[in-house]
Amino acid sequence: MSIAVSGKVKTKMPTDLKGKEKNRKITWKEVKKQKVLLFLSSLFVLYGIIFCYLPLVGWLMAFQNYKPKEGFFHSQFIGLSKFVQLFSDDLFIRVIRNTLAMGAINLVATFLTAIIFAILLNEIKSKKGKKVVQTISYLPHFLSWIIVTGILHDALSGTGIVNDLLVRFHLLKEPINFFAYPKYFWGIVAFANVWKETGWNAIIYLSAITGIDPSLYEAAAIDGAGRWGRIKHITLPGIKPTIIILLLMNIGNVLNAGFEVQYLLGNGLVKSVSQTIDIYVLKWGISQGDYSLGTAAGIFKSMVSIILIVVANQMAKRAGEERLF
Amino acid sequence: MKRKQLTAAFMVLTMAAATMMGCAKDAQTSKTTTDGGKEIREYTAFFAVPGNEINDDNEIQQMIAEITGAKVKETWLTGQTAEEAVGTLIAGGEYPDFICGSDGTAQLYDAGALVALDDYLDDYPNIKNFFTEEEWDKLRQSDGHIYWIPQFNNSYGENIETTHNDEAFWIQTRVLKWAGYPKITTMDEYFDLIERYNEANPTMEDGTANIPYTILCDDWRYFCLENAPLFLDGYANDGSCIVDPKTEKVIDYNMTPTAKRYFQKLNEEFHKGIVDPESFTQIYDEYIAKLSTGRVLGMIDQWWNFAYTVNDALKQQGLEDQGCNYVPLPITIEKGVQNNWHTSGDTLNVGSGLSISVDCKDVEGALQFVNDLLSEEVIRLRHWGVKDVDYLVGDDGLFYRTDEMRMEAANTAYKASHLCTYSYFPTYTGMSQDGINACKPEIQPLEFLSGLPKNVQECLEAYGCKTYVDMIGTNPIPGPWYPIYSFVGTMTTATEGGTAWTKIGELKHEYLPKVVMATDFEEAWTEYQEVYNGCNPQSFLDEVQAEVDRRIEVSKQSAQ
Repeated sequence: MSIAVSGKVKTKMPTDLKGKEKNRKITWKEVKKQKVLLFLSSLFVLYGIIFCYLPLVGWLMAFQNYKPKEGFFHSQFIGLSKFVQLFSDDLFIRVIRNTLAMGAINLVATFLTAIIFAILLNEIKSKKGKKVVQTISYLPHFLSWIIVTGILHDALSGTGIVNDLLVRFHLLKEPINFFAYPKYFWGIVAFANVWKETGWNAIIYLSAITGIDPSLYEAAAIDGAGRWGRIKHITLPGIKPTIIILLLMNIGNVLNAGFEVQYLLGNGLVKSVSQTIDIYVLKWGISQGDYSLGTAAGIFKSMVSIILIVVANQMAKRAGEERLF
Repeated sequence: MKRKQLTAAFMVLTMAAATMMGCAKDAQTSKTTTDGGKEIREYTAFFAVPGNEINDDNEIQQMIAEITGAKVKETWLTGQTAEEAVGTLIAGGEYPDFICGSDGTAQLYDAGALVALDDYLDDYPNIKNFFTEEEWDKLRQSDGHIYWIPQFNNSYGENIETTHNDEAFWIQTRVLKWAGYPKITTMDEYFDLIERYNEANPTMEDGTANIPYTILCDDWRYFCLENAPLFLDGYANDGSCIVDPKTEKVIDYNMTPTAKRYFQKLNEEFHKGIVDPESFTQIYDEYIAKLSTGRVLGMIDQWWNFAYTVNDALKQQGLEDQGCNYVPLPITIEKGVQNNWHTSGDTLNVGSGLSISVDCKDVEGALQFVNDLLSEEVIRLRHWGVKDVDYLVGDDGLFYRTDEMRMEAANTAYKASHLCTYSYFPTYTGMSQDGINACKPEIQPLEFLSGLPKNVQECLEAYGCKTYVDMIGTNPIPGPWYPIYSFVGTMTTATEGGTAWTKIGELKHEYLPKVVMATDFEEAWTEYQEVYNGCNPQSFLDEVQAEVDRRIEVSKQSAQ
């Protein structure tokens, strides 16, 4: 993500200034004229280099048998053997599966609920009611995961409110310990994400909806479009560019399926479905002192993310839609 | 134009400078001055074990600072394992002044994060005398230096044992009382008693349902589930495997017939509803909360893992009168197997201890503080508290406490604002230097007895016991390798055996709960067995065997 952004800052300014003549060369005179702008923008480039590119030196660790005592310069180079070790580990393969699955489920769930929620919220006539609902709905965003998982743990435990209700309404005979069965785990994580982020994510769509010309709605109403018709033909097309840009950005984040939720909600019984790449890095890299293995897993994750974002971007380009780059 | 540029350049420089300054480390140990004008050195400490933070203006900490000229801000492990916390510290490359790596100690040593202490020791008599020359030698690492000082199980004078600080099958005294204090020695009898009691008394006095038996299975604390087979067969707590004292050979306890019987029993009890259905999903805090309500009749645990918090909670809620306190039982798999839950004598855990990190600017000062902490005066402050406030002195010189004082000492707020034990710094146990009193209230024989909850007193009397330890008897340390967990704790995936060990741990976390919950035990056990054998357990056992042999050899040499 940050790579894309800093790249954008670097190139955007000259393209904007080029104006009509596309093939005009950049002359010294022009550079001199814009030196303040260039100087200011160089700070951002510098920021990108220092905080996004310099840390990549750490990737060297993945190709070394890195020992903290010896540092970069004295650790022995071992080529790709850490990657070989990674991919011959069944556990790592399973961890990739979990990460992709949970990432995809979360993406679809949070993405859809946010759009639907924003549209529904927009249809509320009472201004006060709208504000109240919006405020309440984005409050969970400010809770930390440890609190959210604490609430979930309580609510979904054998004696928690969910089981209480289900048993009282005779939907269940006996309480289910939801955290004891792997089949519920991905659903619980997706639910947690939806509950926490829907209100927050909806804000951006709401503001996009506000940007739609009200006269379009009036015209549609005159033409006999009902509520549903207006949503379908005006609201949705109106926020389509926003939807696509956000989707692209989120696709690059699919592998960041989460660390805290799974780490805090997981237990021995659901281990096979709960562990993500980040947890793997912590367990087998950091806590065993095998930093090389952890870095290798991290590189793999970054590579997949870059590929995903490029592919998604190309698809958007083909379809003639908005895109990131 | 020019001026604007200059301003811009100036601003950039300021920003850059500010960033740099933020990164620069303090070159000096920070200091504060007390009211008396004395300078107090301040250190930081991180202990990779869970603990309770005390208030910044803690009263006894301030008194100790007046005496020693130093104080330490302690931080503890929260919500992760020791290895994870230590691994993150190493990756960050910045350490506090004092550090105790617990299970992550070996990683700290490998990363070169610790200061070698052996050259300094001679200047600090209290530290030097803390161990014998032979014990110091046991602490030497592969490069011949000493990097950490184990803090515990070091008796000054006579070793007094009142509490069984380790693992056991615990049971509430109300269960034993109801049954007329029967003699319970086997696992089957234990569960049978709990079953019968729960059938006759399904709830507590206030109507809360009992939880007959719960198992803590949270992360590294899953010993409450996994290592019972070792004890059931009558071996001492070597932790990760059995070392047979007769043959001096390492035995794997995971696949013994006893292990199968134990897990089969748990499986049966699980389906009978005796084992708490939330056992395998509860986290430590939930477990402690459960025990604190007095609902849980029995469990396996280490005393230090539950007793301090739970006993205080029971006391504050008046649940002692309902007989909710726990006592240990001498359980084995069959009658006739000699139980070995308790070993007497000082167990030196060479695997971890208090270290000083390479980031400590003032190693001499830090060691001076550790040295001063071991003086009689400060040890008394740490464990007994302030004279006439936390304890009284009788005419015969014996220390004792009133009931109110005991109540205060169990109060969380009071512990944070007043008491300061510096619990992960080296300390003595047993008799103190005055020859009359014990180092700590809980091992002072008279104070221990009068401090015991009534229900425990009654129970101990009924069994003809004076202390918790008497309930299960005591055994000598089995051999010079003991405890071998101090070696296993240092294993990492850097070796084949270490990898096997880590894999086995991961596997057991997943499969043991499955085995207990399975509807078809035999099938689940067979599956577990297969996956288990796929982890190459032999390589782990071989590496442990080599260490056992090495330790035996070392002790033979120093005996000559």
